[in-house]
Amino acid sequence: MIDEVTVEPKSGKVSHHLSPGDVGLVTPCDFVYTHPFTFKSGQTLPGFTLRYETYGKLNATRDNAILICHALSGDHHCAGWHKADDRKPGWWNNIIGPGKAVDTNQFFVVCANVIGGCQGSTGPTSIDPTTQKAYGIHFPFVTITDVVRSQKLLLDHLGVSALHAVMGGSMGGMTAIQFGIEFPAFVKRVLAMATTSRESAQAIAFNEVGRQAIMQDPAWNHGDYPRDGGPRVGLAIARMMAHITYLSDTSMDRKFGRRRTTTQKQAEAPTLDAPFEVESYLKHQGQSFINRFDANSYLTITRALDNFDLAESYGSLENAMGHVQSECLIVGFASDWLFPPEQNREIALALLKRGKRASYAELATDLGHDSFLLESEELYKIVRSFLSRKNTVNDFTI
Amino acid sequence: MSTLPEKRTIDMQVIGEWVEPNSKVLDLGCGKGELLSYLMQKKHAVTTGVDLNLDHITACVERGVNAYQGDMTSFMTVFPEGHFDRVICSRTLHELHDPAGVILEALRVGKTLTVGFVNHGFWKNRLYSLFKGKKINNIIYPTEWHESRPANPVTIEDFETFCSRKSIKIRRRVHLLGDWRSPCRFLPNLFSGYALYDLEK
Repeated sequence: MIDEVTVEPKSGKVSHHLSPGDVGLVTPCDFVYTHPFTFKSGQTLPGFTLRYETYGKLNATRDNAILICHALSGDHHCAGWHKADDRKPGWWNNIIGPGKAVDTNQFFVVCANVIGGCQGSTGPTSIDPTTQKAYGIHFPFVTITDVVRSQKLLLDHLGVSALHAVMGGSMGGMTAIQFGIEFPAFVKRVLAMATTSRESAQAIAFNEVGRQAIMQDPAWNHGDYPRDGGPRVGLAIARMMAHITYLSDTSMDRKFGRRRTTTQKQAEAPTLDAPFEVESYLKHQGQSFINRFDANSYLTITRALDNFDLAESYGSLENAMGHVQSECLIVGFASDWLFPPEQNREIALALLKRGKRASYAELATDLGHDSFLLESEELYKIVRSFLSRKNTVNDFTI
Repeated sequence: MSTLPEKRTIDMQVIGEWVEPNSKVLDLGCGKGELLSYLMQKKHAVTTGVDLNLDHITACVERGVNAYQGDMTSFMTVFPEGHFDRVICSRTLHELHDPAGVILEALRVGKTLTVGFVNHGFWKNRLYSLFKGKKINNIIYPTEWHESRPANPVTIEDFETFCSRKSIKIRRRVHLLGDWRSPCRFLPNLFSGYALYDLEK
């Protein structure tokens, strides 16, 4: 009924990346769900696949699992390396590993590519069995709730009896909170960072510019394009623009300033194509994105983000938070202008108003929305405190 | 003379007695959450702390105390009247931008407000100023003027005058001598080093 498919053979090579704090070489797995799955929209799929990775071991009581939820352009590969010569480790390798803030000696860490994604999970590039063609834009309308429900099925399959924690930043933060609302008794802790309870007009606006860039590209062809083709120009522009919203004025200025990639001679007349370093950086971001991401998936997931509004779904944000039974930690970042601190505070305040166990912390980093991904001892410390606190009686001899 | 850490335990002793079991407590300027985690264990209080410092919030999270990093007044504004059984403002009063605003807002969201402060009118402080002619610098006021945060030192006299002007009821008061332990029964504004008040509107 449900079977696991190993995507890559386990590699026996010893990696130069294998330092003591890392999970080392990892192999993604596929969870194939063979029953019909009904989306929040009422649309159904005859089944689905989620590609996922796990690190650490599930304990005897099956309750030491931590689910990592990825952001818009992320995937299931959040720690370790697939091959010894990979250029980069998983996207959250700095926080996940033996002895790290998300300690794989202690926890069984699970991370899955979202449904509607394009990194191995069922999404718009998957073949619709009824037409034998890719779903494209006819893929069911995905919401964060669908992401949560499909990943719960994966956790059931893995035999997880309770989540020690569910955590993520940005869209991952939304997913973590939605998980706490949807499965209150199953989730012990929710850790959401750089996130929001409702996508703001500004955030929707940025997503829409990205979508328009894709859809105005003739190669998009109403979502009907060959697997190796598609709106490469539009998708790259969408990524370039979105990437700006993940950074900050200060961090971009520090990283690129006004430096140019080519030095113009004083005597030469200025031309329109003397590129600043920041331009070539963004072009590179765009180019590398089109090689790994599908345009229809981008449309699908940005729509899932735009439709995320807990107040709308539950009557009010407080009502939404009324469902939560987990202990929650919300972390905002001062320089995040995509999901600013206020939007993170709001979540913590709504939880506290409903008498829930919640904390709000704010980091002063100047790196913008992507701050949650960066190396910060302060962040590691609070994450560790939240995840690994021992429920022992405090000693009051100060 | 007792050391500062010993002095700090007085809040736990006095406030710990005042807090009703299972009550909802908000601590403004909660620090590392020592008082709140004490109240959680001894009184099964449901606690929340507010503080501006990330390290303090992290310490609270480690203790399992709800903590909110941010401005205390804008935090309280969100809550309905009487949401908390007790608001605590201990040894932070003199550092607030708008003490009156905070006290009145705390009395709105809290059924009672507990305030603890160092009595600036304590005789040693007066003598220090009189004879040295300098900003007080001792175990209680450990910093020089140029390294201190802006502060409004408050005396028992000042505080009680404020309460009567704002029609704030004083339900209980504890005045302690310079050791912050023995009760002070005579001329508290002169002989008391530390004062605790239990207030309601």
